[in-house]
Amino acid sequence: MIQPKTLNRGKRVGSTLPKRDATVIFNRRAALLSFVGAGVLGAILFRMGQLQATNLISGEYTSAADDNRFDTRIIAPPRGIIYDRFGVVLAQTSKDYQVAVVQNDAENLEEVVGRVAQILGQDAEWARRAIIKVRGGSRYEPQPLKEGLTWEQFNAINVRLPELRGVVAQSADVRAYPYDVVYGHPIGYVQKPTQRDIDRTLEDGAEGESRAVYLRNPHVRVGKAGLEASMETELHGIAGYRKVIVNARGVEQGEDESERREPIRGSGLVLTLDHDLQRIAMQNFGEQSGSAIVMDIHTGDLLVMASAPGFDPNLFVNGISRTNFAGYNEDEKKPLYHKTVTGVYAPGSTFKMIVGIAAKQAGVEDNWAVGCSGGFAYGGRVFHCWRAGGHGRVDLHDAIKHSCDVYFYQAALQAGPERIAAVARAFGLGQHFNVNVPNIRDGLIPDPTWWQENRHEQWTGGLTVNYGIGQGAMGITPLQLAVMAARLGNNGLAVAPRLIREGPNVTDPPAPARMEGIEADFLARVRDGMYGVCNEPGGTATRAGNMELVRHPETGAAVPLTPENRAWQPVQIAGKTGTAQVRALGANRGRHYSTIEWRYRDNALFCCFGPWHEPRYACAVVIEHGGAGSAVAGPIAREIMRATLMRDPSRREPARLSRLEENLARNA
Amino acid sequence: MTTLSLTSSPNTIFDRFAKLNWGIITILIALAFIGVLMHFSVSSGAWTDMPLKHGIRFVVLLVMMILAAIFLDTRFWLAIAYPLYALSLLLLVGVEVAGATRMGATRWLEIGPLSLQPSEIMKVAIVLALARYYHQLDPRKTGTVLWIIPPFLMIVAPVALVMHQPDLGTSLMILFAGVCIMFLGGLLWRIIAAGAIVAIGGAIFAYFGFLHEYQRQRVDVFLGITQDPLGAGYHVLQSKIAIGSAGLFGRGWMQGTQSQLDFLPEKHTDFIFTMIVEEFGLLGGTLVLVLFGALLAFTMQVAYKARSLFGKLAAGGVAATLACYVFINTAMVIGLVPVVGIPLPMISFGGTAMVTLMVGYAIVLCVDLHRDQHGARGWLW
Repeated sequence: MIQPKTLNRGKRVGSTLPKRDATVIFNRRAALLSFVGAGVLGAILFRMGQLQATNLISGEYTSAADDNRFDTRIIAPPRGIIYDRFGVVLAQTSKDYQVAVVQNDAENLEEVVGRVAQILGQDAEWARRAIIKVRGGSRYEPQPLKEGLTWEQFNAINVRLPELRGVVAQSADVRAYPYDVVYGHPIGYVQKPTQRDIDRTLEDGAEGESRAVYLRNPHVRVGKAGLEASMETELHGIAGYRKVIVNARGVEQGEDESERREPIRGSGLVLTLDHDLQRIAMQNFGEQSGSAIVMDIHTGDLLVMASAPGFDPNLFVNGISRTNFAGYNEDEKKPLYHKTVTGVYAPGSTFKMIVGIAAKQAGVEDNWAVGCSGGFAYGGRVFHCWRAGGHGRVDLHDAIKHSCDVYFYQAALQAGPERIAAVARAFGLGQHFNVNVPNIRDGLIPDPTWWQENRHEQWTGGLTVNYGIGQGAMGITPLQLAVMAARLGNNGLAVAPRLIREGPNVTDPPAPARMEGIEADFLARVRDGMYGVCNEPGGTATRAGNMELVRHPETGAAVPLTPENRAWQPVQIAGKTGTAQVRALGANRGRHYSTIEWRYRDNALFCCFGPWHEPRYACAVVIEHGGAGSAVAGPIAREIMRATLMRDPSRREPARLSRLEENLARNA
Repeated sequence: MTTLSLTSSPNTIFDRFAKLNWGIITILIALAFIGVLMHFSVSSGAWTDMPLKHGIRFVVLLVMMILAAIFLDTRFWLAIAYPLYALSLLLLVGVEVAGATRMGATRWLEIGPLSLQPSEIMKVAIVLALARYYHQLDPRKTGTVLWIIPPFLMIVAPVALVMHQPDLGTSLMILFAGVCIMFLGGLLWRIIAAGAIVAIGGAIFAYFGFLHEYQRQRVDVFLGITQDPLGAGYHVLQSKIAIGSAGLFGRGWMQGTQSQLDFLPEKHTDFIFTMIVEEFGLLGGTLVLVLFGALLAFTMQVAYKARSLFGKLAAGGVAATLACYVFINTAMVIGLVPVVGIPLPMISFGGTAMVTLMVGYAIVLCVDLHRDQHGARGWLW
């Protein structure tokens, strides 16, 4: 436009080129580019609108933003409290002091954990394990390093917190068992869910997945033994949650309080146990391994359910150390076994009442008597009486009182194995009693049919003879022995044991029915014999059976015998000892006890009921490899029974669960 | 052959100040103010370094821009066009030889305490140099292949050097601004068509040939070849969530959940537009885009009114550079183009883009003041 046309004429390079005006071209093209630019701007605006329109219809971006910023944090519910029958707290939730670490805040995890280990007096191996555990958890939430700190340890950590970056000292609700070893077996313990628990839950689809998330929460515990395991659903309660606002790193920034749901405490349980008696029972075992049951013969309430040696359930709650676990697991007295329901023993002489009743049922006359010369020849061999010299002529009463084997060899032959097995089962031996604890074993009462099916042999008369003294293939649990004593004590009512008095889905049992085919007068002479065992000269347990208690003439209460109250009526019991071999018959014969290896020594048994004038309690004690029933099991049973009779728990007002839970809610 | 005559430029300093393009200055102030607002929000409502630095940096640059516009005239820019380009290219080679490496990229040249990013100087230099080139070129020659070679080389040399740093965003911007000036300068359409085919082929070659792994990933995610919400796609996914859930009026200043809780990455730099939309809604986002649109329109108006081709091309080149910044950045945060590290000028935190743009607008204001200087080609020739 400015260039004079003449300049472009002639033979210059451009002369053959078409004329172009740069300004016009620029303006045209600038306009074109501006349109394109406007179009791009429009496209960007349109796209923004489109994103929002999509959100208006589907809400997908709003919910994605909410998913980002809201996180649900679980609040583990407090577990239901377990009480004894009078309201003594046996398992509770209490404050636990812990040291934890937030990985994200710790600059050097190894170093900081090492310092904590030093403060707590732990070794390098402990620190190594702790670091592995922490690394497996969330980076932003505190991961417990050690739980169950003492107050001193907690303080030691607290004062050094400024130099321990990322370390947190915190307290959390945790299960505690105030009487540790006393209730280890019946109540059991809770533990952190294992990886196997979580894997198993994950198999249940979506619901299992959310439960797995729950189980991974470091504060969650589940029942792993005893009532804690079998009543897990009832005790556990309902988890609460908090809706928290988190940033991109998962760090909590705030909470939507309106969305908070408080956890609901698990239901409490009132047990039938009496804390005073249970404690006395556990104390009386000394170094022995065995179990003791005390049962109310009318209601079936288990007042004592003791298994020794005990273990401390508190050690399991935060994960038991290897040494502690090995100590329990390798002990030949098996402290982790709940022997009252899982220990299966030959009943020995305690079975003789069953044989006596079966013989009576078979029509043996009351005055039927047997001459005992120390042995009984049958089928080409001699069955010995425990007393080499023999008992002379004995009837049923004396046979029980002296525990004469020869009498019962012959009584068993009179009754026959089928009848004996039927009576044994009627009295609860070999029967299943669901007392809500896990791993209940049923024992075995064999009969010819069972023998045929399982041993593929014909039942022989020799087996029947052996049956008469409670030896052979049969096995019973201490709980069943107590049930037998209770049914003898209540004159033939089929009472069943129970461990939980009150709790969810627990109803009062119906009044026990009469045992079918067992007349009351079948029992009379057997009971007399058991009285004789404890109270008549020559009885096998006169020492253990002597309660040294008298009845208060006005209140009827059992009080210790003193020189002043000698004139009052004595309080007595009736019982029966048993000594059951654990090796082939006669293997221990002639050897002194101390020379026999512990695990080959005889099991000692004792069962009884009392008070004789108005029976209310039955007791069974089994001491593993203890030796003679009268010498070992009897004295322990005596102490337990004596305490029971004096305390007389059945006549005391029991606690009500509703009242206990009210108190708890009020104090919270 | 002095070719920029001084006939009708404002003469006194006061006169020049009064005749500055105040529309452009107002929009620049508005944009920088929005930047300060957003950095205050990024700092969760505190006068931290970030909003303060942004504001102070802008005020200093604004004063310098106005002073430059008043005291320099278009001839100055014309005069330094080639020397500046040559210097920039030298510095880029210097980076290649002795550059400082930060975050895996060699973009900086350290001269004593100064830390220089030559690729940014190049953004201005390429605009001036190409404007200068076409200013002196006979319009009839622009169509011939021979006269395309110099500008082509002028573009390719810095683009290749910057790409190698690696800095895909900046090299794309240099390429885009250069191509825009060639187009405005009067490139023939058939050459443009041929160029387009070569460019597409080049892009495919680039993808398979020499894009870095992270760059290829971004392209893959954008094209939907890979789904990777926590990797390369995470940024854009979170950005779309923030924009989609914002609504017409937004969540409110300092209330954006995606930005305040750090779900949105790079919220103070490349993804600040997302934060604006999240907190001020579709309306806030539209306002910002309209401001940029108006700035582009004013700039093109300056170009249209300028009588010299150098002035036109320089203003057009600055507009192209600005459009490149704004369009790529906003299109990126809403998922229209793959993620490239290009900030939103005047608003994103960081001085580089602001300095580049303010130098650009010092030129534009100059061109506007001296729009009636009509020049022939070949000043200082």
